[in-house]
Amino acid sequence: MSTEPPGHEDGAGAVAAGDAPWQRLHSRMIWVDAVQTLLSLVPAGVALWVVGFEQGIGSLWPVVAIAVFGVLGAVSDSLRWIFTRYRVTDEYVELRSGVFVRRYRSIRRDRIRSVDAEAKLRHRLSGLRVLKIGAGQQSAAGESALSLDAVVKQDAERLRRALLRGPDRPVADDLDEADGAAGDAAAQEREHEHVFARLRPEWVIFNMFNVWAYVMALGLLWGAYWVTTMFGLDVGGFVEGLLDWEALGWGWTIAIGALVVGIVGVVGLALNFFTEYWNFELARVPGEKGTLLRTRRGLFKTREVNRDENRMRGIQISEPLLWRWMGMADTNVVTTGLSVWSMAQPTTILPRGPIGVARPVAAAVLDVPASPLDVPLRRHPRAALRRRLWWATLCSAIVTAVLGWLAVTDVVAPAALWAGVALWPVALGCAAVAYRALGHAIAGDYLVVRSGLVSRATTALQRPAVSTIVLRQSLLQQRLGLKTVSAMTAAGYGGYDAPDVAADEAIGFAADAAPGLLEPFLVRPDDPLEHGPETPVR
Amino acid sequence: MNDPRAPQPAVRLRPPHNRVERRAILWWTLQSLAFSGPLLIGAIVGYVVWEDARPWLLAAVIGAAILALVGVVVEPGWRYAVHRWEATDEAVYALTGWLVREWRVAPVSRIQTVDAVRGPVEQALGLSTLRVTTASSKGAIDIGGLDKDVAAAVAERLTTAAQLTTGDAT
Repeated sequence: MSTEPPGHEDGAGAVAAGDAPWQRLHSRMIWVDAVQTLLSLVPAGVALWVVGFEQGIGSLWPVVAIAVFGVLGAVSDSLRWIFTRYRVTDEYVELRSGVFVRRYRSIRRDRIRSVDAEAKLRHRLSGLRVLKIGAGQQSAAGESALSLDAVVKQDAERLRRALLRGPDRPVADDLDEADGAAGDAAAQEREHEHVFARLRPEWVIFNMFNVWAYVMALGLLWGAYWVTTMFGLDVGGFVEGLLDWEALGWGWTIAIGALVVGIVGVVGLALNFFTEYWNFELARVPGEKGTLLRTRRGLFKTREVNRDENRMRGIQISEPLLWRWMGMADTNVVTTGLSVWSMAQPTTILPRGPIGVARPVAAAVLDVPASPLDVPLRRHPRAALRRRLWWATLCSAIVTAVLGWLAVTDVVAPAALWAGVALWPVALGCAAVAYRALGHAIAGDYLVVRSGLVSRATTALQRPAVSTIVLRQSLLQQRLGLKTVSAMTAAGYGGYDAPDVAADEAIGFAADAAPGLLEPFLVRPDDPLEHGPETPVR
Repeated sequence: MNDPRAPQPAVRLRPPHNRVERRAILWWTLQSLAFSGPLLIGAIVGYVVWEDARPWLLAAVIGAAILALVGVVVEPGWRYAVHRWEATDEAVYALTGWLVREWRVAPVSRIQTVDAVRGPVEQALGLSTLRVTTASSKGAIDIGGLDKDVAAAVAERLTTAAQLTTGDAT
């Protein structure tokens, strides 16, 4: 190995398979910790130098806190480095760690499902990488993966390739070979890559306007206020002097405040988008068994996620209602073993962006002729609209009745009744929008369903992945001649619905959604034996 | 690919063959009582004790009474008329519900667990609920109101059949 960590007694090449030596994490960690110690003392130093000692500790506690946390973090990280050893044998990846409580963890190499390289800013600046080795479902969701924090970039790449290649070959060979031909192997791997999408700067438009803008702005402004106050600037006075607030009155003051906060938030979200998705790339890469769908992103903190394509069952594109006019879309894969609810959003394969990009990328990822997401969907009968209109009317009526009762008993002002009345047309509009979102189709190996009011989600799901078929019919649906068809699966949300399909069409769609499953229970009208005596239960 | 199936004569889904036990009517009645009984009693007690809130609590009493009446008089009989089940070597098929009916079909090859579950009331009545789960979190099939011996036999048969198929059934 060219970059031999110190404390490593023997060359990796000379090691007999089976008793590979224990290795330390990379020694550059210590330097990083030393630099972090110095850097975290800088704000306190500057503040003392600028402000002087006479103000006392009271206004300086934030910089003191930064210094204390920085130094303690660096020291504990160094201790962790001293007490951590890892090794890669033919069968296992093993990790010993812990200062006071010693921990030993191991993962069988044939169980390894993912090896992801991550880096925070300090890792990136120092050429280090955190290697996360995951086996099975929990680790895929980002929990309890075995992590090597940190190894040098080239080692991380080498280990990743060696571990993902499977346990058939001794690791020493892999490392040796990688030693000589690391460049070749990397080039070869790049050749087999198929890149679907890279970051386009104009996508920032889709990620700037959001409720979170206000949350972010308030955080930023509070931070700025806090820093300037610490250095003795009078922010309040400065803002007061900008405009003649008294002449403007409360309304304008609030409007200008909201506007300024909004602009700060939007700019903040735009910057945040670029730091999160810098160098974004979605690609198909060869993996240990079959191919992987890989996303890479991040400016300061990089993140790489590899998804096993053997576990992919489909794709979902959802379009939020408020931004549908500009064609905003979120693209997620439907896959087993990745949590849909995880904060890290491991199923998201594209940043929020235009539908014009999402559809072709989804089609390329699915890699079937005639993308199931592009086929024309069958509209649902008008009765489905009527059902929604009935529910909208009923809900508005209930709200109005409750408000009316509260008005009669003098709990609310009678004018509140108008809110209930005004709700009705809005609810009817929502019913119409929800109806227009409905659609379903069978396209090749996939079934496609589309529904949703606030977020219209189009899902293409592999038909062989359907594990349970559910048909549902309420009394109102029975009157209107409708049935809801649900395809349950182990992947994604667990089940995908086609609400309010025409009742006679629903059976055919359900039968096609899970090929062969319903066959023994179907009665065809032209079948003389089955037709006649047996009637369906009402 | 996307053939228009409108011109074809519609296929129908026949109901499963087997009905549940008649004793299930009593089981559902007791379940309804266990749910709406305390509600009704609570509302009446509140109405008697708390004079100031009587206009509000009258609505609650009437609501709870209707709920109890429907749950005891209407629901069990209706459920008995609807509920059907069938377990073949290829699939488990159940029809349940009353106001909202639900047809559930799961292939035996995807079955992950088969249990015969018995609550205290079911034990007293000699009934059992057959619970079949698949890898999907929403794909489970519950068939209540079976005779306990029938449920046990079916559970055993399905377990054997499910073991014959290979793979992780996702």
